[in-house]
Amino acid sequence: MEKTGTEERARREGLASGVEGFNGRARRALADPELHDSIALFTRKTLKGRAARLAELPDAPELRERAYHIKQETMANLDRYLGQMADAVEARGGNVFFAETGEDVVRYVGELAREKGAKVITKSKSMATEEIELNRRLEEEYGELGLEVVETDLGEWIAQLAGDAPSHIVAPIMHMNRHQIARVLSGVAGEPLPPDVKALAGFARRRLREKFLAADIGISGANFGVAQTGTVCLVTNEGNGRLVTSVPPVHVVVMGIEKLVPRFEDLEVFVQLLARNGTGQKLTVYTSFITGPRGADELDGPEEFHLILMDNGRSKLLGTEFEEALYCIRCGSCLNVCPVYRQTGGHAYGSTYSGPIGAVITPLLKGDREAKDLPHASSLCGACWETCPVGIPLHDLLLKLRNRQVDEGLAGKAQEIAFKGFEEAVERPALYRAGARLGRVAQRPLVRDGSVRRLPPPLSGWTDFRDLPPLAERSFRELWREGID
Amino acid sequence: MRRKEFLENIRHRTRSGRYQPTRAPDASWTPGRRAAAAREVGDPPSRFLEELAALGGHGRRVKDLEGARDYVVELARERGARLLVRWDVEELERLGADGPLREAGVEVAVWRDLEDFREVAGRADIGLSTAEWAIAETGSLVLESGPGKGRTVAILPPVYVAVVPVERLVRTVPEAIRMYAGRGSLPQNLCFHTGPSRSGDIEQSLATGVHGPGEVHVLLLG
Repeated sequence: MEKTGTEERARREGLASGVEGFNGRARRALADPELHDSIALFTRKTLKGRAARLAELPDAPELRERAYHIKQETMANLDRYLGQMADAVEARGGNVFFAETGEDVVRYVGELAREKGAKVITKSKSMATEEIELNRRLEEEYGELGLEVVETDLGEWIAQLAGDAPSHIVAPIMHMNRHQIARVLSGVAGEPLPPDVKALAGFARRRLREKFLAADIGISGANFGVAQTGTVCLVTNEGNGRLVTSVPPVHVVVMGIEKLVPRFEDLEVFVQLLARNGTGQKLTVYTSFITGPRGADELDGPEEFHLILMDNGRSKLLGTEFEEALYCIRCGSCLNVCPVYRQTGGHAYGSTYSGPIGAVITPLLKGDREAKDLPHASSLCGACWETCPVGIPLHDLLLKLRNRQVDEGLAGKAQEIAFKGFEEAVERPALYRAGARLGRVAQRPLVRDGSVRRLPPPLSGWTDFRDLPPLAERSFRELWREGID
Repeated sequence: MRRKEFLENIRHRTRSGRYQPTRAPDASWTPGRRAAAAREVGDPPSRFLEELAALGGHGRRVKDLEGARDYVVELARERGARLLVRWDVEELERLGADGPLREAGVEVAVWRDLEDFREVAGRADIGLSTAEWAIAETGSLVLESGPGKGRTVAILPPVYVAVVPVERLVRTVPEAIRMYAGRGSLPQNLCFHTGPSRSGDIEQSLATGVHGPGEVHVLLLG
């Protein structure tokens, strides 16, 4: 019942946007050389910057340990910290709303827009609102208000104009090159714009400037929320986050409940790790700490501050073996190092969150059936865990998810039989030896240039995407018996 | 009521869970010995200027108010500025740039003359403020909002200038954060502002000033 509930919710939440079919999408991505160039350019540069910035930080390892422990402490006491956060925000004159689902968020923002007679909403990039497709749903479900919801992060805006989803947590249009971007923006400009970075950015500045100044409501996400002080921390490079939260009379924050940290000084750990890991900067250009609406004696800043604390499936992971997935700070570095992501790009995952962390949290939030392929979109090399600034054992969680699929009977009959058979064989030495001998004979016609490139069906599923090293002519056990020189 | 249920649900899950995440061994990040937590920042003013320059900002050390005033007036003249918006704070009064700026044909808008910073800052060519602190390790300014300290002054005009007494330099980011962690009440808006607005969204190529100021000048005073 739990499972159907989750899937039903996923559909309602607009999350059921075709997460199945990773293989098909990955195959298309593999055949796209432009995409490969874009990904290679981005990841190479970012990883180099990341390594250099971390090397400058002698206490980086300690920071990682502290980050993990702070998150562990937060999750174990999440109810208390959420309550504390809400109290602190209210004490500073802000409003707090607890949203069980994405639908609750949409309704709250929609009704607020109606009450304010809002026309233009400016948004700073937020994965939480991507997850619940806030823009589309506001425009559809509150069509009578005629709302214009504008993304203001340059990449996110271009993605919005192109009708495209972001393909990377940090760099949303990493998959597009400047020629493609020029085509999109030329359409908006009504005249051809040159594929020149400066010209394109200049056009964006002029266009978005009007929106910033006209906006009735600004919506942002939150990189961190501080329970103790009711502060929301927001990091951006372009300054759009600072404009969205300073210029309109109303500021709405949509924050996943897992983004909390207990104390203000905890930010010392996370702020340093986020920028260094995410973009290879010491700090992003704007690191803002916002506590409530503007004071009575201030002449700018929002008059109203609304904090929406969104669950949307997250609390299900608390106290389970998947809890660590909630420690993620969305730096995106696990995507950059992942050999699968680097070949396929983010769209292959068919989910808001791509890469290793996406392969973990998508099935956890949407249900195993909806995101069946994703835990398999990994080589389990552990690079994601190694790079994670909070030390989330991502490869471990991926294995646990694969396990859960088997328990739920989602893994497919052939796989089940194969692994059952393997289990039998390794438990009985005679059977194992016989099997190995048989395998050595059977593989002979298949070995080419020292590897097995293609197995007959149903085993072809394995070799479609990999070469298989052949079984050795003589096994280790045989060599051992004969005595090794 | 809603809040109570929401938190009750979470309390139930956190308390009922039997699973306690264990720390996976941490080979790649754990060094042989604990690194010193204190980072070396030898000469904070020159480090600040180096870091800011590396980000494409313009920093300069000026020995007195007169030097700072001349810099601001000269910059306004060079940029052909017509409107400058500034914070209403004691230090900028003492700077005494308003008169010379007006003489140079630059209109100066100050908080006490305004209803709302936003509209004026939206038209201004230059924004001028002080900063609470500056961080040497990263070339950052620490800006607080408050009476006379509009947030939009530092974000809407294409050119932004800050005058900071050199005594207000702190060495590292943790040092700056700890200063606020110990406080009873935080300003409504606190911002660590590090260099000109930048975007790498288009092919990883740097574009500055995409929304915020493309030009940032910091004058270290003293």
